[in-house]
Amino acid sequence: MSTTVGASGSSTSSVPARGASHPDDGLARALAAIVGERRVLERPGELRAYESDGLPGYQQRPSLAVFPGTRDETIAVVRLFAERGVRYVPRGAGTGLSGGALADGVVLLGLHRLREIISIDPDNRRAVVEPGVVNFSLSRAAAPYGLYYAPDPSSQTACTIGGNVAENAGGPHCLKYGVTLNHVLAVTALLPSGEVVTLGNPHGEMEGYDLLGAFVGSEGCFGIALDVTVRLEPLPQAVCTLLADFPTVHGAAEAVSAIIASGIVPAALELMDAPTIQAVEASIYAAGYPTDAAAILLIEVDGPSAGLDEDAARVSRFCTEAGARAVRVATDAADRMRLWQGRKKAFGAMGRLASHLAVQDAVVPRTRLPDILATIERIGRRHGVRVCNVFHAGDGNLHPNVAYDGGNAEEAARVHDAMGEIMNACIAAGGTITGEHGIGLDKLPYMDRLFTPETLAAMCALRSVFDPEQRSNPGKVVPVHSCREWHGTPAARARPA
Amino acid sequence: MSTVAPPLDALAVAAAIRDANATRTSLRLVGGGTWLDAGRPVHAGATLDLSSLRGVVQYEPGDFTLTARAGTTLAEIAGVTGRAGQWLTLQPHGSLDGTIGATIATASWGPLASAYGTPRDHLLGCEVVTGSGETVRAGGRVVKNVAGFDLSRLMTGAWGTLGVITEVTVRLRARPEADRTFAVALEGPDERACDDAMRWLRATPYRPLAAELCSAAMSDRIGLERRTLLLVRLGGNEELVRSAERAVAELGTTAGVDAAVWDRLRESEPPGATVVRLGSLPTELGALWARVTRIVGARGGASHATLTRGVVRCILPAAPTSESIEELRGIMKELHARGSRIVERLPDALWADVPSTFSDPLSRDVYRTFDPNGVLNPGILGHSA
Repeated sequence: MSTTVGASGSSTSSVPARGASHPDDGLARALAAIVGERRVLERPGELRAYESDGLPGYQQRPSLAVFPGTRDETIAVVRLFAERGVRYVPRGAGTGLSGGALADGVVLLGLHRLREIISIDPDNRRAVVEPGVVNFSLSRAAAPYGLYYAPDPSSQTACTIGGNVAENAGGPHCLKYGVTLNHVLAVTALLPSGEVVTLGNPHGEMEGYDLLGAFVGSEGCFGIALDVTVRLEPLPQAVCTLLADFPTVHGAAEAVSAIIASGIVPAALELMDAPTIQAVEASIYAAGYPTDAAAILLIEVDGPSAGLDEDAARVSRFCTEAGARAVRVATDAADRMRLWQGRKKAFGAMGRLASHLAVQDAVVPRTRLPDILATIERIGRRHGVRVCNVFHAGDGNLHPNVAYDGGNAEEAARVHDAMGEIMNACIAAGGTITGEHGIGLDKLPYMDRLFTPETLAAMCALRSVFDPEQRSNPGKVVPVHSCREWHGTPAARARPA
Repeated sequence: MSTVAPPLDALAVAAAIRDANATRTSLRLVGGGTWLDAGRPVHAGATLDLSSLRGVVQYEPGDFTLTARAGTTLAEIAGVTGRAGQWLTLQPHGSLDGTIGATIATASWGPLASAYGTPRDHLLGCEVVTGSGETVRAGGRVVKNVAGFDLSRLMTGAWGTLGVITEVTVRLRARPEADRTFAVALEGPDERACDDAMRWLRATPYRPLAAELCSAAMSDRIGLERRTLLLVRLGGNEELVRSAERAVAELGTTAGVDAAVWDRLRESEPPGATVVRLGSLPTELGALWARVTRIVGARGGASHATLTRGVVRCILPAAPTSESIEELRGIMKELHARGSRIVERLPDALWADVPSTFSDPLSRDVYRTFDPNGVLNPGILGHSA
């Protein structure tokens, strides 16, 4: 099996699989009757925009695309799929970085039109939103109440809460505040059968099996969130952002370990290496990072003003002790925003370096960071590829990315090999293959290396509970070959009439 | 009820479970034995004693994660992590002789959940032998991980009905530099006291590690003055805690108390007590608190509330006679809430009145998938194979 990078998903679109879910006029007409003709796309030209997601290098064309505008339309669409046995791929804003929203000859179900913030309850610090609500617009709507939605993927100005739930999305500030899972109180889920169920408890404690926990991060394979009840956090009283400039990557990694070991939990602790800094500074997102640094750390501490200066001073000291040439504190909100903009747009800046970008998302135990960065450097050098590291250092969540020319087969093969070795090294260090991007299509080949056949079979069995026919986001997350017969798989539940 | 020879590893657990399937002998899972009177009565053919699955497997303080076999006690984990200035921020109600496996399996939590969340927020991965005898290694040992479907969350709070947890990896935190506890005397009727405390918590920039409202009876039980008290635990650097302390004092007469009150609170249940948790939206907690403390107080019980989670925990004295059980049946009818009602402990005779925790088709299918013959802790969640 090939994949990662552009190796399998070269720049030409793959041939749609012809099979049970091949589009037929009947399906398109029936969908148009639900959502209106304008909201069903069939022509290749119209579908082109949906051939890829946030991960460059893959292109797959859906058989058709449908965009319901209301909850009721969505339910009607999914029930129609259930009646006809149609396979489909749910999609939010399509910003995902693992190819999870790609539809290879099956129907694409776009949910970005479901974008109502149903309620904000400031006293109970929660909001109920439709799945197509953009992450950042929720924080903006909550701001007048002194609240915000904490998980902040770098794509937060575009990505949707529904997509965040599907991926169990993270972001820089998840170091202190936790990932999506920790912020979702309940979901009204539309199962592939067309059943509507409530997972979690929006009014009290959850009891029984944690089906909500299973649903969050299920990458669209367990169904769709029709609405999501999330916890909102109070905006911190004070924020201090520091930029530390290191002459060696190793020094920056050592500083990360020292800060974490001290017990201070920064709101965010991000590392960017020289290739990343240079890509950012050469782009329109230039943030004023020192271009001669081997690495920088972007560190934010937040909370009550009392005691914050002391934490910031200690963080600064750890950096200096680890060899930082300079540590600068953001002077005001605009300065802070600029420093963050460079970090959040780093993937975009790298994407401009070449036609393809291999994106990895491995996680290692935090004490292994200095070692693994050295290993990554060695692997890159051996294969002659330039790895850009930009990542959530505080969590040990690495993003070793490589921009390359997908049209050059020899280069693509080198990148592919280097990435495989990097993943193996991270697994060997006690880590995992994805911290926040999901498995999707891109990380599928690594699943066998990380999990035993029994574990993969158990995952398949769990999926079968939610989607006995495996019609929702088919072929993603767990390799099909590992879905052997499971002892206890129950018969498919009857679909609602 | 017979006892299966104590298994020493996951392999032996798997063998025992496969035997149980072959012979259709259901198993009662026992770790430290501190939770045996919790949950519904289990009628099993044999006992699977997991207490020998013990010991810390891996602990690298700099990673802030710990991997331990499921039968490791919370006391042992506290000892090991404490030496590195760290702690497992679960500290569930009950004794420290309880095991980490049972804590995860029952999703038990305590006052620190205010700041740090519940077991689902701490569990990074686990090894589980399912009811069909398959050994599954879910999650991992790193603090962020979205690889594959989340079997770890599924095992959290499943009370062993999907699988036997044999090993867990949990997230740890650093002990704060300063960690001080204060008791605030709240004035006025119960509802107002609770509402005042909630308002303060909403308005303050400080995030206490714990904020637990104690009924007069509970305050008395943990060695404090017999009146409604708010216990606030403040953590952080010295300057932060000093500043937070001044903010707490705005709420009422405040006195520093020894951190041992938290241990006493966690172990305040007398043997045979009935324990019920009622949940509501935080804004509705005041009314719930007032109603419940009255009912519980009048029957010689005590209550406490984890304010930010909107949960009141009611502890009623043991009901040793048939009259007292009938009386308790009546009280249980009054102990309801709009948000949630979770019964931790109850005399066997009264469980029939409590609705099953899973009547929904998804939960039933999950159960049949992972324990098709119903061999693990049958009936503990009000389910049947």
